[in-house]
Amino acid sequence: MIYMTDGSFEGILTAVFEAFRRKECPEKIASQEPCQLTLGTEIREIETDREKSDRVYKAIVEKMSREAIEILYRAYLSEHPDVGTKIYDYIKIGLKIGGRIIYYLQDPDVLWIHDRNQKVLKEVHLFLGILRFRKLRNGIYYARYEPDNNITTLISGHFEERLSNQPWIIHDAGRDIYALYNTNETVFLHEHIPIPKNEADKKFEVLWKGYFQSTAIENRLNPNLQRRFMPRRYWKNLIEKQNN
Amino acid sequence: MELLDKLQILADSAKYDVSCSSSGSSRSNKKGQLGNAAPAGICHSWADDGRCISLLKILFTNCCVYDCKYCVNRVTNDVPRAAFTPEELCEITVEFYRRNYIEGLFLSSAVIKSPDYTMELIITALKKLRQEYKFNGYIHVKSIPGADLRLVYQAGLLADRMSINIELPSLQGLKLLAPQKNAESIIKPMAFVKDQIQGANELTIYRKKQLFIPAGQTTQLIVGATQDSDLTILKLTSELYRRYQLKRVYYSAYVPVNDDSNLPSLNTSPPLLREHRIYQADWLLRFYGFEARELLDEGHANFDTKLDPKCDWALRNLGCFPVEINRAPMEMLMRVPGIGYQMAQRIVRARRVAALSYDDLKKMRVVLKRARYFITCKGVYYGGVNIDSEDLYPVLAAQEDPKNVYGQISMFEMGSFAK
Repeated sequence: MIYMTDGSFEGILTAVFEAFRRKECPEKIASQEPCQLTLGTEIREIETDREKSDRVYKAIVEKMSREAIEILYRAYLSEHPDVGTKIYDYIKIGLKIGGRIIYYLQDPDVLWIHDRNQKVLKEVHLFLGILRFRKLRNGIYYARYEPDNNITTLISGHFEERLSNQPWIIHDAGRDIYALYNTNETVFLHEHIPIPKNEADKKFEVLWKGYFQSTAIENRLNPNLQRRFMPRRYWKNLIEKQNN
Repeated sequence: MELLDKLQILADSAKYDVSCSSSGSSRSNKKGQLGNAAPAGICHSWADDGRCISLLKILFTNCCVYDCKYCVNRVTNDVPRAAFTPEELCEITVEFYRRNYIEGLFLSSAVIKSPDYTMELIITALKKLRQEYKFNGYIHVKSIPGADLRLVYQAGLLADRMSINIELPSLQGLKLLAPQKNAESIIKPMAFVKDQIQGANELTIYRKKQLFIPAGQTTQLIVGATQDSDLTILKLTSELYRRYQLKRVYYSAYVPVNDDSNLPSLNTSPPLLREHRIYQADWLLRFYGFEARELLDEGHANFDTKLDPKCDWALRNLGCFPVEINRAPMEMLMRVPGIGYQMAQRIVRARRVAALSYDDLKKMRVVLKRARYFITCKGVYYGGVNIDSEDLYPVLAAQEDPKNVYGQISMFEMGSFAK
């Protein structure tokens, strides 16, 4: 039996609710992306239902902890194809052992969720540092990035506080998700918006590149160390790593 | 002179200061203003030498009246000189900050005219940045040795962190290489700043908190410019933590920039491995409950190049091992070679749910490469070698990867400490 959801967090929690209610043990909770099926596998379409997902949400907070639901949500943002199934497995264990679940890392399913959570947290922290805004001619600061995980909602609060008196856009180019901030509130959009890319103010970008070069000590060059902290796949959107 | 040239000259002159941390402060933003400080600190990039760039690390000017032999900016050196105006400095800082290039400013300076004059320039720039540019981001300011303490105090009210660099770990070194500085001009402000921090905290009880370098003070020691042993450096370090409550001591492998008979020759490469060992020991002092005298003594005054300091200690204290993973207290687990703070915490929490086997540790991804020789799991020893130093030394020494890349241990690797 495979449960098909719409891929939202609420959808996955609704599927978990249905699995308990129907006393079924689905082998997978998948999202609607096409997946390879073995012949004869039964599929149940799960319709996302806020009431059902809320009940599961509350049960997790009460029987486990608030931290447990936060861990599950961040793991969900990894968008890993198995994440629905793993969330289900995690909840089954958590209902048995309670709040201690977040420490029960000798269990492979718990560790799996823990690892995804850590990866998401790590990427969030990294992008608080390596997100780069370009000042467009219209005065808006525009940051394009391509994170592995769907972290735009997790990082925007930081910039709302820090860069509170300038309008900005954070754009996850891989997913076409935007956080738009107008110095008052942040709105999230999931559709393509055209951004005039070449119209950026260059003066301080040139200064920043110059600084970046000068601050390295030539006798200690260490590209391996640099890449360990700042993997090459992120360089594309880093001003200081562009050659022109 | 073009602004870009100035920036490059003054970054080039500031880069030998290794401190880059932006942690420990929680200055908040106000409506209509710019910036705040993140308590955990944030790295914004990593330079080609692998060091983190968090703050715009820059000198106000590199025009210096001093002639310290180890320093690139000494008065007798023929290097290009430059100076910022306070406006230029504020503008670059703010514009970089708005683009999320940096976490704030690290402002230092060569000594122009006199220590007091230099300190006043720095204060003018910082005041402008905080008051006119409404900047609430992180500021690390360098205290100039010999400056009037009243100026030091004013700077402390504007900055998040202050440092005064000791540079040379012994008096002999100081006399030989920096004859115009004296120990008093470094230690006195350090003690003064410590008292001011305490004073500011006491005042908080009565009225609104007055911020005086909320992220505390730090210093830097040069490794390898003098003949001082690791023991001398580590003893000094632990005194600094104890007496002056420094937040951090940084170490800088000496990069030969000047030719002088009292200094290592120009083709000496910086002692990076030695610097790395001292950093490892520094973490053991600050977070792992070790004392300097446990790690080194007169008969063992320098770290083994082949073993990390904890391994080195363990081999000299084999009586403490093996420890049972299911019963040993957190403090003891942290003393096991190869087990760091995070793993020790992971073990202590997991064993409350169920007793741990060797396989469980592997599943939890505890790194057992070194640890296996020092632990038992449910009473069973998995090392496969006698627990004695003659058998263990070659096994452990062979594990040091020659391709290992040495750098400062990052706050992120130490995760939980930062929070």
